[in-house]
Amino acid sequence: MFTKILVANRGEIAVRILRTCRVMGIETVAVYSDADARALHVTLADQAIRIGGAAPADSYLSQTTILEAARTSGAQAIHPGYGFLSENDAFAAACAAAGVTFIGPSPDAMAKLGSKTAARRIAEAAGVPVVPGAVPRDQSDAALIAAATQVGFPVLLKPSEGGGGIGMKEVHAAADLASAIAQARREAEAAFGDGTLYVERLVARPRHVEFQVLGDSHGTVVHLFERECSLQRRHQKVLEETPSTAVTPALRSRMGAAAVSLAKAAGYSNAGTVEFLVDGHGDTAHFYFLEMNARLQVEHPITEAVTNVDLVRAQIEVAAGRPVPWTQQQLLQRGHAIEVRVCAEDPRHGYLPQAGALALYREPAGPGLRVDAGVTEGSEVSVHYDSLLAKLVAWGETREAARHRALEALADYPILGIRTNVPLLRRLLEHERFVAGDLDTHFLQTEASALIPIDDTPSADARAVAAVVQSRPPASSAEISGAPDPWTSLRGLRV
Amino acid sequence: MSDPVVTPLGRGRFLVSSEGRQRVAYGVSASGSTWVFLDGEVAVIGPTASKARTTAADEQASLTAPMPATVVAVAVQPGQKVGAGDVLIRLEAMKMELPIRSPRDATVVAIKCREGELVQPGVPLLELSEA
Repeated sequence: MFTKILVANRGEIAVRILRTCRVMGIETVAVYSDADARALHVTLADQAIRIGGAAPADSYLSQTTILEAARTSGAQAIHPGYGFLSENDAFAAACAAAGVTFIGPSPDAMAKLGSKTAARRIAEAAGVPVVPGAVPRDQSDAALIAAATQVGFPVLLKPSEGGGGIGMKEVHAAADLASAIAQARREAEAAFGDGTLYVERLVARPRHVEFQVLGDSHGTVVHLFERECSLQRRHQKVLEETPSTAVTPALRSRMGAAAVSLAKAAGYSNAGTVEFLVDGHGDTAHFYFLEMNARLQVEHPITEAVTNVDLVRAQIEVAAGRPVPWTQQQLLQRGHAIEVRVCAEDPRHGYLPQAGALALYREPAGPGLRVDAGVTEGSEVSVHYDSLLAKLVAWGETREAARHRALEALADYPILGIRTNVPLLRRLLEHERFVAGDLDTHFLQTEASALIPIDDTPSADARAVAAVVQSRPPASSAEISGAPDPWTSLRGLRV
Repeated sequence: MSDPVVTPLGRGRFLVSSEGRQRVAYGVSASGSTWVFLDGEVAVIGPTASKARTTAADEQASLTAPMPATVVAVAVQPGQKVGAGDVLIRLEAMKMELPIRSPRDATVVAIKCREGELVQPGVPLLELSEA
């Protein structure tokens, strides 16, 4: 087993990985950019190494600097988290060449699956159904337009590399194609350094259901059931839950088997996620392979909540050559878990990302709750990275129990100083269609008016609190450092 | 209807009693406004109206970045005639592209940013002819 691991990431996922390393008695090395010198993940590691400037290309994407940090710190393994270098097969190969274990799949499996086109071919060969689509070898505008016309509108333009919704464009008519191609190509080049595009048929009212898999270097692959990820905005997930309200036991076993055979066909080891589109409902619903994410997913905690496993621990164990720690029969889904992504964005203003300091930040706590955060009170949210601040995961015996826990927790999750989507998430959890489990990937668009009310007038109670805040001098150091003295501060103030 | 009673609890926490019910609220002053969290909703009170009016007046002639962002592309040149909705500048922030569009038909008077530059909110990026 490794005695020292370097975490090549930032934010909530770096924090989450560092925590498991500590529990396993493994020493930790954090890396950070200039913008993150005082970030939460840096303070939680045994050792922290600066790797460059704020721009990702100068730091979290700098392969040589990160490998050098591993060498100087004596880390035997690198956990890449998600995003950044996590699905970069060249980096995984460079790690192997440098004698450092990359905690993830082999460079070969990653290269095959990282390209959506090659992944589709593997799926087809493994007998897993795929959505009609094409990747023209000729990437000229004319060839892409011809491919889209052949697939049939509406189409989805996707970068062949990468993920996370970056560069993805829905196109409903041929006339809009040229500008969408240019924008998708630009975003893909900026984010992944590769502007190769892929054209896919858009399925109407699809549900996005993914399966967690874990494989080892001995050829064993198990699945850890599904995650329902239909609530998305511009292909960025907003809320995930498991089990899916659309998946019956018979469908679950078909999809699970398909996920395992796909991973086996790709020679996959470590944690991965097989994404499917589900069309229809009941035992006979159709499902199509979308892509395989060769990394730990953002939403992995809901799987951990219903299966009672630590996926990061399992990742580290299989990377060290150990077998998958559980048999398929040992894995059970118990209860229901819901994750909401708390983001620094303003839904009232086109979800504009927000940057700035968290003047006040207090996490909720209670039975069945977990908050994976990359920030703390006083943290500076930087313009350089994505807007995810934290993930709130609520578990309950039933979907309703989990939903109520999530709602209550959000009502006790103040984040002030910058706008966040917390109020939107609460309205989402209360929406009658969400309560009924009637979801599709367009939900946030079609229900926007209910989720983002026009009336923004503060309540009388909120105004009363504001008046008290304004009437008080800036908090004294005594008030910040300790509990208030009830004899001096418990005084009703009428306004 | 009685007025709400607000009791400071320290560290930005407040007990709010109104209509026979009590809840905990959070409040803090930040970047010139007062921020309150109550019942899962956020209220931002202020900045003052006069400051808001000044900003609105400025926007008639110049376009500003809505948040700190990097200029990816400047799509127009001084002297160029543009139509309402035309993309003038492309910004990128937090991995998202933000197009800055022309609010109306106008002529580009001056460009005040360059590609690759990190721009701050409120700083003019481009000036248009008067409406």
